[in-house]
This record gives sequence, C-alpha cells and structure tokens, in this order.
Amino acid sequence: MNWMIAAPEIFYFAAALWFLMLSFFSKPDARREHLSSLLLASLGVLVCLASVGSQGYIFIQAFTADIFSQVFKVLLSLGLFLIIALCGNLPDVGERRIQDFYFLLFTCTLAMMLLVSAGHLLSIFVSLEVSSYSLYILVSLRKNQDFGLEAGIKYFLVGTFASGVMLFGMALLYSSSGTTYLGDMARVLPGMIDQPVVVIGLVLTLGGFFFKLAVFPFHFWAPDAYQGASNQVAAYIATVSKVAAVAVIARVVAYAGQESTYFVHVLVILSVASMTVGNLAAIAQKDLKRLLAFSTIAHSGYILIGILALNPTGWSGTIFYALALLAMKFTAFLVVVELAPEGQNLQINDLAGLHRRSPLLALALMVSLFSLAGIPPTIGFTGKFLVFVAAIERGYIALVIIAMINVVISLYYYLLVIRAAYLLEPSIELPALKPSMPIKLLAGISTGVIVAAGFFPYPLIRVAQAAAQVLLVGR
Amino acid sequence: MAYATLAALILATFLPFAAFLLIMIFTRTKPALSARLSVGAIAVSFVCSVLLLTQNWTAPGPVEYSTQFLASSGLNIQFGFLADQLGLLMLTIVATISLLVQIYSLGYMAGDPGFSRYYAFMSLFAWAMLSLSVSRSLLQIYIFWELVGLSSYLLIGFWYEKFSASQAGKKAFVMTRAGDVAFFLGLFVVLLNAGNLGVLELNGPAARGMPHEILTLSALLIFGGIVGKSAQFPLMTWLPDAMEGPTPVSALLHSATMVAAGVFLFARLFPFFSLSPRAMGIFLAIGTISMLLASTMAMVSRDIKRVWAYSTISQLGFMIMALAAGGYFAGVFHLTTHAGFKALLFLCSGVFIHHLETNDIYDLGRLGSRRFKIPTISIVIAAAALSGIPPLSGYFSKESIITALAGLSNPLWLLAGFVGVFLTAYYSFRVMFVMFFPKEIEPEKVHAQEPYDAGYRAMAGPLIVLAAATVLLGFFEAPLKNFLAGIIVIDLQAPEHDWSHIAALVLALCGIALAWFEFGRRGAEQVGFIDKIPPLYHLFAERWYLDHAYRLFVDLVIDRGISWLLWQNDNKVIDGTIDELAGGTVEGGRISAFLQTVMIQYRLLAIFAVLVFLAFYFFFQKI
Repeated sequence: MNWMIAAPEIFYFAAALWFLMLSFFSKPDARREHLSSLLLASLGVLVCLASVGSQGYIFIQAFTADIFSQVFKVLLSLGLFLIIALCGNLPDVGERRIQDFYFLLFTCTLAMMLLVSAGHLLSIFVSLEVSSYSLYILVSLRKNQDFGLEAGIKYFLVGTFASGVMLFGMALLYSSSGTTYLGDMARVLPGMIDQPVVVIGLVLTLGGFFFKLAVFPFHFWAPDAYQGASNQVAAYIATVSKVAAVAVIARVVAYAGQESTYFVHVLVILSVASMTVGNLAAIAQKDLKRLLAFSTIAHSGYILIGILALNPTGWSGTIFYALALLAMKFTAFLVVVELAPEGQNLQINDLAGLHRRSPLLALALMVSLFSLAGIPPTIGFTGKFLVFVAAIERGYIALVIIAMINVVISLYYYLLVIRAAYLLEPSIELPALKPSMPIKLLAGISTGVIVAAGFFPYPLIRVAQAAAQVLLVGR
Repeated sequence: MAYATLAALILATFLPFAAFLLIMIFTRTKPALSARLSVGAIAVSFVCSVLLLTQNWTAPGPVEYSTQFLASSGLNIQFGFLADQLGLLMLTIVATISLLVQIYSLGYMAGDPGFSRYYAFMSLFAWAMLSLSVSRSLLQIYIFWELVGLSSYLLIGFWYEKFSASQAGKKAFVMTRAGDVAFFLGLFVVLLNAGNLGVLELNGPAARGMPHEILTLSALLIFGGIVGKSAQFPLMTWLPDAMEGPTPVSALLHSATMVAAGVFLFARLFPFFSLSPRAMGIFLAIGTISMLLASTMAMVSRDIKRVWAYSTISQLGFMIMALAAGGYFAGVFHLTTHAGFKALLFLCSGVFIHHLETNDIYDLGRLGSRRFKIPTISIVIAAAALSGIPPLSGYFSKESIITALAGLSNPLWLLAGFVGVFLTAYYSFRVMFVMFFPKEIEPEKVHAQEPYDAGYRAMAGPLIVLAAATVLLGFFEAPLKNFLAGIIVIDLQAPEHDWSHIAALVLALCGIALAWFEFGRRGAEQVGFIDKIPPLYHLFAERWYLDHAYRLFVDLVIDRGISWLLWQNDNKVIDGTIDELAGGTVEGGRISAFLQTVMIQYRLLAIFAVLVFLAFYFFFQKI
C-alpha cells in the first residue's frame, strides 16, 4: 500500500489531532490558535497542491486518489484556509472553546477529503457522517446558546433523516447489484438501470448528498443553520461543504447513474424546484445570511443542471461551478464577517451607507453578488454559461429557459442588497470601517479573481476538463 | 519572432487605450502632460506599425493570433489579431495620420479649456481604429466599429456648448447607427448560416456553403454598415454636418481614417462580397450615385470644410466603385493616397481657419490667405493630387480606378467615372482660385507677416510631411501592388485602355481650366456656371433635399407610426404585464418563505412526501 497518496488526509488528521491535544493540555489563547491554524491550513494547501498528481488505491479501492479527487482536495484546503483567514476575530465562540472550534474545522475538512476520494458505499457514508457531525457541533458552538443550539438541533434532525434515507438507498443498491464498490457498480448497473429497485435506491442514496448541497426537498435546514451559526461557520458551510457535496454527487452520478429517462426526470424536477423555491423565498428575506442561504439553495439547482446533462461539458461545467461558488460565496461572506465585528446577524438594511464606510468592501460585495447573479464578465457568468451549454447540447431547452427566468428573479434580490449598500442612507451616521491589511488584501484578491476568471476562464476550464476526464473513464 | 510580432501588435493597439485611461483618471487637470501621454502613445504605435509593415513587406501570408470566445457547438467566434497585408497597411495609415494630426493639434487646440479631454478622446479613437484594422473576426470589427462611432460622436460634439455641434454629433451617431443595425443583422445572418465570423474563414471556405440568396442578403446587410460609416447614399448628409468638430478631428476621423473604415471593411471581406455578383452590382450603383451627388454638392458650397467633406464622400464613392468593379488594388490604393492628401487638405484649411477665423472661402481670400506660404503650397499640391494631376499620388490611384471601371462590360460606369474626374478637378480648383486670387482684398491684412510661433511650427511640420507623402506615394504603386497581391489574386487583368487614361487626364485639366476661366483669370466674376441656374443651385445647395426627405420620413413613419405603436405597447402591454409578473413573484416569495417557518416535523413530512411522489412518478412513467 502506498500511503503517500493519502498525504493530504494524513496531514489534516495530524492537524486535527494537534488541536485536540492542545485542548487537553494547554490554556486557550485565541491569537496563538489562530496563527497556528492559519499556518497549518496554508501548509495543508501546499500539501494538497504537491499531491495533485498522485493516483492509486488503498483499502481495496475504498480510498481512490485520482486527478478529480485531488483537484477537489486543493479546493477544499483552499476553502479552509480562506475561512480560517476570516477567523481572526471570533466573538461568537467562547475563548474556552476556541481549540475545539479549530479541531472541528480540521476534522470536518479531513472528512470531506475522504469523501471526495471515497470509492466504497461505506467509506462514503462514514466520511459524510463525520463531516456532518462536526458541522452540527460547529453550528451549536455559538455563544448565544439559544440561537445556535436551536439551529444545531434542526440541522441535526434533518441531517439524520437524510442519513436514514441514504442508508436505505444504499441497502437497496447493494441488494440489487451485489456490490458496494462504485467501480463495480459502474459495470453492473447499466444493465439494470430500468429496474425500480435500482433507480429508487439511487435516488434515495443521492438524498444524503442532496442534504449536503441543500437541494430541495432536503434544504429545510439551510436558512436556520446559516442564521443560527456564527458568521464564520456559515461561510464554511456555504463554501467548503458545498464543494465536497458537488464532488461526491458528480462522482456517484457519473459512476452509477446511467442513461435513464426517469433518473434524469427526477434530477430535473429537483433542480427546478430548488432554483424556484430558493429564489422566490430569498425575495422575502430581511436577514442577509438567510438570503444567502436561499441563494445557495438556488445555486444547487443550477449545479444539478450540469450534473444531469451527463456529458463531458456538464461534468467540467459542474466542477468549474463549484470553484466559482467557492470564490463568490467566500467574498460575500467576507463582507458579512467584516461588517459584524460583534458577530451579530446582519439585516439587509444594516448595509446602508456601506460604500462610504468602506468602498473596498462595498465593491467586493457588489462584484460577488453580480457574479452570483451571473452577470458577465464574472466567474459566475462563465459557470452558468458552461452548465447551460451542457444542458442545451442534450436538448433540455425548456430546463435552461426555466433556469434563465430564475436568474432574472434572483437579480431582484441581489440588486436589493446592492441598493442597500450603495444607495440607502443610514439612519444614524456610522463610523468608517477599517479592515485590517490582510483582509483588505483578501477582499481585493478575491474580487480580482472573480472578474479575472470571468475574462480569462480558460486555465480554470482546462483544470475542470482534466478532472472531468476521470468521470468519463469511470463510466 | 512570432512573439515579437504579437508584442508589437499589442503595443501598437493598446498603448493609446492606456493613454486614454490615464488621461481620464489622472491627468485631466494637467493639459501638457495629457498631450505628452497621448502623443507618446501614438508615436510608439506608429513605430511599431512601421516596423511590422517593413518586417512583413517581403514575408507573405496572413499572420493571425486568436483565441476562442465562448465556443459552443456550431458557433465560432474568434478574438485576436489578423495582421495580414491589408491589416498592416491600414494600421500604418491610421497610426501615421493619427500621429501627425495629434502633433498638429498641439498648435491648433492650444489653450482650449478641454485640451485634456480632446487628447483623451483622440487616444480612444486611435485605440479603436488601430484595433479595428487588425481585428480577427467580424464581431471584433463590429465592437471597434461602434467604438470609433462613439469617439466620432464625442469629438464632433467636442465644443458641446455650441448647439449646432452637439446636434451634428447626434445626427452623425444616429445616422451611422442606422447603418450599423443592418450590419449587425448581417452578422447574425452570417453567423447562423456559416457558423463563423472569422475574417479568414468567411473569405475562405466557410462562406461558400451558404445558399446564394442568403449570401446576397448578408452582403447587402453588411454593406448597410459601410454605407453608414462611409457616408454613402442615402446616409450621406451627416458627414458635412460633422465638420462642426475641430478641424484636426475632421482631418483624422471624417476624411482620412474613420470614414474610410467602411471601404476598409469592403476590402477586408472582398472575396466574400465577390461571391455575390448581384450584391456587387448594387454596391457599384451606390458608389456611383454617392460619388456624383457629393461632387455636385461640392460645386456650390462656400464653406471650405464642407467642400472637402463632400469631396470625401465622393472619393469614398470612387473607392467603392473600384472595389465593386473588381479592382481590389485600385480601391485600396486610392484609400491610401486619399488618406494622405485629404488629411493634408483639411490640415491646411485648419491653418487658415485658425488664423483668419472664418470658414468661407471668399472671406478667406479677402483676408489674405496667400501669405501663409507653407499651407498655401501644400494645399495646392493636395488639391492637384485630388484632381488627379501627375505626378502626384492621386493621379496614380485614380488611373487605376479608371482602368478597373474600363474593364466592365457596361460603359456607363466608365462614363460616370469620367464625369466624376471632371467635377472633382473643377470644385477643388474653384476653391483654390477663390482663395488665392481674390477679387478684392483687405491690403493691411494681406501684407501682415506669416506668424512663426511654436504653435504654427507644430502645425506646419505635419503639413510638410504629408505634402512630401502626397508627392512621393504615387511612385510606390508597383511595390504596393506586389505587397497586396500576397492575399488577393483576383485583380481583374483588365485590357490596357490607354485612351481612357489620357481621357481622364484631359478631363481633369478641362475641369481646372473651367475653374480658372470662371474664378481664376484676371477680371473673372467668380460666379460658377451652376450659380447662374437657380433651380440647379438650390438643388445642390440643399443637398438634393435629402435632409428634407429624412425629416419627412422620420415625422411620418417613425414618430407617428412606429413610435406611437411602440409607446402604446410599452405602456399598456409591457408595463402591465411586468407589474403583474413582479407582484406575483413577490407574493410567491412570501409563500415560499412562509413554508420555511413551520415546525420541524412538518418539514420532515414534506421531505418524505416529495420522496414518495418521486417514487410514484417512476411507476406512472412506466405505465
């Protein structure tokens, strides 16, 4: 066995262990923990980058390293690094719990890395659960106990329900195909894809992942969890955990979900429902984080379009979209975190006068929201363009038209937020915001990346295409 | 080597844009610095373009660099550079004239409150026009096409506090846009049928697969853009009004380069257009009509800039005639020589206007325009070139056009060409004689000294350069022909018509002689033969009543017909529907959001219900 192919996982395991040990043996010190976690996270990015090329199996294919999983690990490690960069000031997490906070973040990321590499139903299940449980606790960690705990319990209840559904689906898959390895399933399932037990098993299995991605009808936890969790944790859920969910859904659908009109129909229904419910409900929101939660639900609908196209363009479009989501949502949450130094929940009206309090943050917010709405030339436009093209290639014109209508609806509430930031006058004069230099740099870079990748998306598209090759071979 | 070419192209095209941004953002309050930035950028562009031209002078074949923009199945839109012979020639012409005009403007615009703004817009124009010259695809050409239109609008209305200037800017913008709508539709037709907008592809195999009617249709639509931009019939009256802008602007945009963009596009797509002989026939007719109409207008105008504006329209008509007659080289060569001598005509006129502060040729003569030695000599050289007098550049290019026209089976076109040559010589020397042999003079003005300050030197320098080019350019006919032959090999091998050359020259001399008889000889009345026939005079002076026809058309068809209908539609149908839709959407949002607030068990129930529905859906679908 070649353990080196699991180098990222081993590294993150050691990092998590380090924080666990700290919490046993050392007095917490917020600044020291932040710096050490930042250092570890940046080292983690380097480790993941170094192991991009590694390929192979351990545990008889239960753990598979290929270019697809390694690219996603880079994204995950990058996401973790960015989120930790926002954790310089953690008003919501008690000083006592700060080491547990980082322990859980690293554990969760580790579980997600295992998830994108998982090639066996059980390893998928276990890694999914580990990441979910870390998140349940992270959401509940908020100092304001009523708020966090309530959200955590709601999250947990929906999550366990989804896990139950998924386990049932996996059992059905196993009973019909007689195998638990994804690779074997890819060989066995095509012949039996029209049997009820197989497709229903597949749909139920995906239910567990849809919960992660917040696809309708498994989306009910998202608004409450976003609202209840501290801003940093909400940012983590919105970025890193979505990337992992996209990866695992893409892999399972590519390996197991062969051509079946019924299966595609199910995905179309869920995609349309997610977009519509997410966008419509977002219109009525006053709380910024709830609004972003609904926008995430809508985006999961767009991502499903790329997945259900079941063609190379769709795979690479999906991977590109995951990357785009990471950049856009991170930038939006960066502004949220910076605007709420006390860790409070922001209302949309609280943004009033932002363009004078901090032009940079206002600009970052505007660019990220325009990108989320899919306005060219931003990375969000390119992502939408790629998945829509994939769907059109398969002839799903109606679906794309519905998605376009949804994009128009979404513009409404994104513009409401931008209007608040640029046009509304605050009722009382608020002091200018002075973000620290690293945050300024981060905001500038992420804004620049969103725009630059809108103009020159080709390097990223090529990476996505290379990663998507694996999914083709798997078929 | 290839990288060096690419770097030179990028430098040549993007530096003026950088200058534009810098001036607009940082140096608006520092006129001297703005001018230095702008002139410096265009000077580098000029050096790069000359280097590129000399480097590729012997090396054949188009050089292209391109990337795909949003490629999807069946549609191909390339972005990049196409530095073939024609592109490089145009690049050099534009860079040269831009540089000279910007240097000239140092003197002409000195002390203007909008000095920085002027140079910013000049740089914007230079960027757009240079990029247009080496664009890889038609969409890219279209983008820069609109950008030069924008800079033209900004520069015509540069003195926006003058009502007529801002009106003229609007008129130019709207009329060229009318043509551009057709151009854009043409691009759609081409894209849908050929699946490609690359210049090379359309000139090559991609267009051959198109059905013949579609090909003609798209050629005519694209030609609509050319008609607008090059001010051809029937969209021609914006150009004389555009003379409200500063004179260097008229020299650069409205004679030498921007209006020539239409002809350039024709040359660019020459093989494509050639596939449709019917369309070429229509182009020939439009070129001829424009050429003759504009010449007649030039015969009666007293405003020196307007005379040259009409002359520009008519010379552009000549070029389009040449191209439509199959004379690719003749058209492009005339484009080159015309850019030189027409810019010279405008710049010389600019010196007179700047110092004597009038546009009227009779006033200019009375105030003693002949004491300005350099402009006087230069403008006579340029007018002689315009009339086609050997050995100046205009003679050679006009001869090659006559040769192309003589190759046509119908002698009517050649006849029209002869009339054009005669009229051109007549109206250009009418201006010369009126200006330099005035009937009465104001002696104290006339004997004043020619001013020799820095501003005058900045203006005189470009004049000398352009005059030299006008004298010498004609002798480069053969090398230029070899250079351009690399891309196009369909120049008609017309039989030699020696008599037609001589006839054209004789007619030009007759035109000058008539002008001398009426305006130049001692004791002449200085009244043209047209002025003695009032109906004809009014017809020409009122521009064949074209503006009245437009006014009528706009009032009757657009204002009362289409606009009214659209207004009704907008108010009743669209607004009403949108209000309903928006209200419904917001209501839907409230309902969806309400679902989120119910207790957790009902949410789980909802998940379960959806799953059951999906399972049932499977069985229903099976049946």
